[in-house]
Amino acid sequence: MLATKPTAPRSGRSRRASWLQRLYVPLMLTPVLLTIGVLFFGALIVALLQSFGHAPIYGIEEFPTLRHYRNLFTLPGFWSSVGLTFYYALVPTVVGTILSIYLALMLRRRFRGKGLVQFVYKLPLMIPYLVGVALTIVLFGNGGIIARGMFALGVIESTRDFPRLIYSHAGWGIMIVYLWKQIPFTTLIVYSVLMGLGRESEEAAATLGAHRWQTFWHVTLPQIMPGIVSATVIVFAFNFGSFEVPFILGGGFPNTLPVEAWRAFEDADYSNRLRAMAIVMFIGVLSGAVLFTYLAAYRRFERLRGRQ
Amino acid sequence: MTTIRSTLTLLLIAIAMIVGHVHAQPQGDPDAEAFRSAFLAGDLSWDAVLERAAAEGEVVWAHWGGSETLNTWIDTVVRPALAEYGVTLRTSRLTNTRDAVDLVLAEAAAGRGVGQGSIDAIWINGENFFTLSSQGLNFGSFADLVPNSQYFHFDTSNPASGPNLFDFGYPTNREEIPWSGDQYMCAIDTARLERSEAPADFAELEAWLRENPGRFTYVRPPQYNGNTFVQTVLYAHNPDGDGYVSFQNAADALGVDEFIRITQPGYEYLQRIEPFLLGGGGSDGMRGSPIYPEDQNGLEALFVNGEIDMACQFGMYNTAVSIETGRFAETAENVIFPAQGMIKNKNFIGVPINAPNPAAAMVLANVLASPENQISKLGTIGYVLGIDADLLTAEQQAEIDAVAPSLVGITYDELGAVTVPDTNASLVDVIEGTWTAFIERRSGSFEDSVRAAFADR
Amino acid sequence: MIARRRAGTTEIRRDDRDRLGPFGRFYVTFVVVAVVGPFIPLLIASFAFRWNWPDLLPSRWWWEARETARLPLGWDYVFSPVSRVLESAGNTVLIALLVTLLCTLISLPAARVLARERFRGKSFVEFFLLTPLIVPEIAVGLGILVTFIQLGLAGTFTGIILVHLIPTIPYMVRVLTSVFQGLSRDYEEQARVLGAGPLRTMWHVTLPMIMPGVIAGGLFAFLISSNIFLLTFFIGRGRIETLPTLLFSRVSGGGALDAVAAGVALIVCIPGIIMLVLTERFIKEEVFAKGFGG
Repeated sequence: MLATKPTAPRSGRSRRASWLQRLYVPLMLTPVLLTIGVLFFGALIVALLQSFGHAPIYGIEEFPTLRHYRNLFTLPGFWSSVGLTFYYALVPTVVGTILSIYLALMLRRRFRGKGLVQFVYKLPLMIPYLVGVALTIVLFGNGGIIARGMFALGVIESTRDFPRLIYSHAGWGIMIVYLWKQIPFTTLIVYSVLMGLGRESEEAAATLGAHRWQTFWHVTLPQIMPGIVSATVIVFAFNFGSFEVPFILGGGFPNTLPVEAWRAFEDADYSNRLRAMAIVMFIGVLSGAVLFTYLAAYRRFERLRGRQ
Repeated sequence: MTTIRSTLTLLLIAIAMIVGHVHAQPQGDPDAEAFRSAFLAGDLSWDAVLERAAAEGEVVWAHWGGSETLNTWIDTVVRPALAEYGVTLRTSRLTNTRDAVDLVLAEAAAGRGVGQGSIDAIWINGENFFTLSSQGLNFGSFADLVPNSQYFHFDTSNPASGPNLFDFGYPTNREEIPWSGDQYMCAIDTARLERSEAPADFAELEAWLRENPGRFTYVRPPQYNGNTFVQTVLYAHNPDGDGYVSFQNAADALGVDEFIRITQPGYEYLQRIEPFLLGGGGSDGMRGSPIYPEDQNGLEALFVNGEIDMACQFGMYNTAVSIETGRFAETAENVIFPAQGMIKNKNFIGVPINAPNPAAAMVLANVLASPENQISKLGTIGYVLGIDADLLTAEQQAEIDAVAPSLVGITYDELGAVTVPDTNASLVDVIEGTWTAFIERRSGSFEDSVRAAFADR
Repeated sequence: MIARRRAGTTEIRRDDRDRLGPFGRFYVTFVVVAVVGPFIPLLIASFAFRWNWPDLLPSRWWWEARETARLPLGWDYVFSPVSRVLESAGNTVLIALLVTLLCTLISLPAARVLARERFRGKSFVEFFLLTPLIVPEIAVGLGILVTFIQLGLAGTFTGIILVHLIPTIPYMVRVLTSVFQGLSRDYEEQARVLGAGPLRTMWHVTLPMIMPGVIAGGLFAFLISSNIFLLTFFIGRGRIETLPTLLFSRVSGGGALDAVAAGVALIVCIPGIIMLVLTERFIKEEVFAKGFGG
């Protein structure tokens, strides 16, 4: 509450100073709290109120009702949507994290062209997901470059014979885009944590005769764990709420939850917008609950490890 | 503690802000209101309109912006034409016309009245116009008040005025002015599918799909290209055999039971062919994940990438123009499909009641309706005339014949013989709602799907 | 060098562990190919006039067709004002610059306090400022859209800049907090002791010291803002286009083999490539560690 700044000695100034000091922290925090509070939480509160039936703009006033949430859970395909959303979010997070840790470890070593690799691998981080989507369509579509190459080689006779990677519920295309964009992100975080750590403890372990794998598992991994946890939280949260990638590359109904929310919002029937709000609230709560559980489990794990 | 308290206060402010604005009172801009009543009463000379338009200085036109050729034509022809009147054209390129309608509705709900909106003109037709009309959000009956209205039949006793006075069977009340015509067309690539083997009606399509599973699909309703495909299926499967005629009635006049009776065979057909569409399971009962592209660009991409052999969408001269711009192969051709009826309609320029530059909107409507610009639009980008050609001079008619692109593989007579009108606008929501529930989501029996769609309307 | 020679046997082992094995080399090569390779067909597509199934290369190129074309094709269209590519690029940069500036001004005081002061409710504030990273953009976008339409902010630069603050502030606060944490207070206190007022201290001592960190955070905010699609799409309402929304309208149907779509996709990458060069120059990788490593 009170600032811990050293107090000025003279009494006349000190009264003013103490008044300033008491307000120092709140004043400094006000711009940020005001912006996030009004814009972000304001938006969420509007969505929340609408999902509970307060929407005078559409001439709907049935606050408070749970109807829109109840309808949601009985909607055909809703639970498939939940499953798909989890699937598309989780698989790239896990696979991408493993691949990123490996890449970060490789980047620490010496090899020819290292400067170039370190520069190039960050490119996807800098450009919008939609570019990744465009690249995926060009490459992996059933009439895309790879399919044409296989046709030219006589491997397939028609677009039909090419495995369906995009516009399908298996979601290969969606997950490829996520991996393409997110491996650089996670790698960058892990790599920079590794750089910050230095190699002393690893070298010590190696000197003591630990194998490479043992060194990684018992020395390196625990040290980079905080970085990995923050990266996975951000990546998972993003994938869970991502709209444009599954919207373009998805397999149609059942859609992921954000796409379902969008479709409900765009429906000709305005009362469906309340359902859209219920869906986005559900996405937020679900994603929050998953990440909270994950972070709590990690803290518990760290505590247990510390006690050993 | 203070921090938390100030945070809570902020949240309260946010709530107050949000709730407070919902209850704003609608009140128009008196100046725009005066112009509107004087213009609609016919008390203003066109020169006075031009003068006010120049003073307004700009016009905001919201239109579907997914076509490069159309965007180019608008920027190179319409923009300079308006500049001559001192009006700057600002276009809002939409992916979906409903977005513009939504904006007008939301602005009206927020109390922004005459002259206080943000859109002056919308390229509109069908259920979107129906929505604006039923909410009373049109500017007024302006279509016969602009000078170029002389090129349209508006006389109710003349059957030729039908397409100008009715939009999807719903009276336009001259609150929108035609600016383009459209024709549902199907293209094949003769390099992959011989003309003689191309299906000519829905029975042949089903038989062909069973032989060649996955080689056809249609745009996902509620996108209008998808709706129109479903409408043609329903026409062809009308058990009364009178095709489109039953669908000219409004939803209330038709009634839910009658709608169920006349559409059930069509929807059952759509369900039957679903496993054989692109991405479908390939055999009866195996649904797979049928791929319904989001819009006509997606459908065309599947067509040029060799995934489907026939693509149906609006655009009478689309095949000719697409060959010219390199999008389609030179072997692409049009076919008559389905022989039971190919939908033709007109589309319009509508002006919302809260248009911020109403006089400039009138000038835009007039510029778009000029014979010169209409013929340029036909010749350059292959968009069908919105004006009525029989009201033009013999010279202009000859020019039209000279500049019109080719129909690539079919003739006007063949096409004219199968042309049918759209369904009634009030049925469009029901048709797409039933499709979503019964075909896409399989959320219940056919009857339940229709009843739910009727109730949601 | 001297240390190396002296280290003797352990140094040899370390060298061995330090080199990239064959699998590692394969993996690193694969990453580079996977990042850059897909751009090759996109580049070809942007120069194609006609490129239908099953041709591996365009059957006719853009430069062969452009002379006789009645309408601008491919790159001619992309660079004509009709395509709005340049306008969108300008909007993207303008919005990102203003967002970066505003975001820095808003976040600096908070970062300073969060780095240096202890106060009750601090962890609550920290959590409060992290939530925008965890709650999906679509929830914010749908919630804010109707209110912004009512306030007349939809379709305006102000509206877009305001919503862009939501995802940028959390990152900015984290990066700047780590900058202040790494900054010793001694210099500022010395300046005060030597009689400099708070403003002069701020201007002549604090600011120069935090400048590298502020630049890093600014580049980060710029990058995030110029990549945002969904919020811009909702609030821009087709009236204000940025590069991501322009690309969305080109690929949302799935037609990316089209020359114009390919051209637009390539243009959309340019700000990112510039940012990549700038970040190589200005952002030390440790900044990311401080921002996220915890």
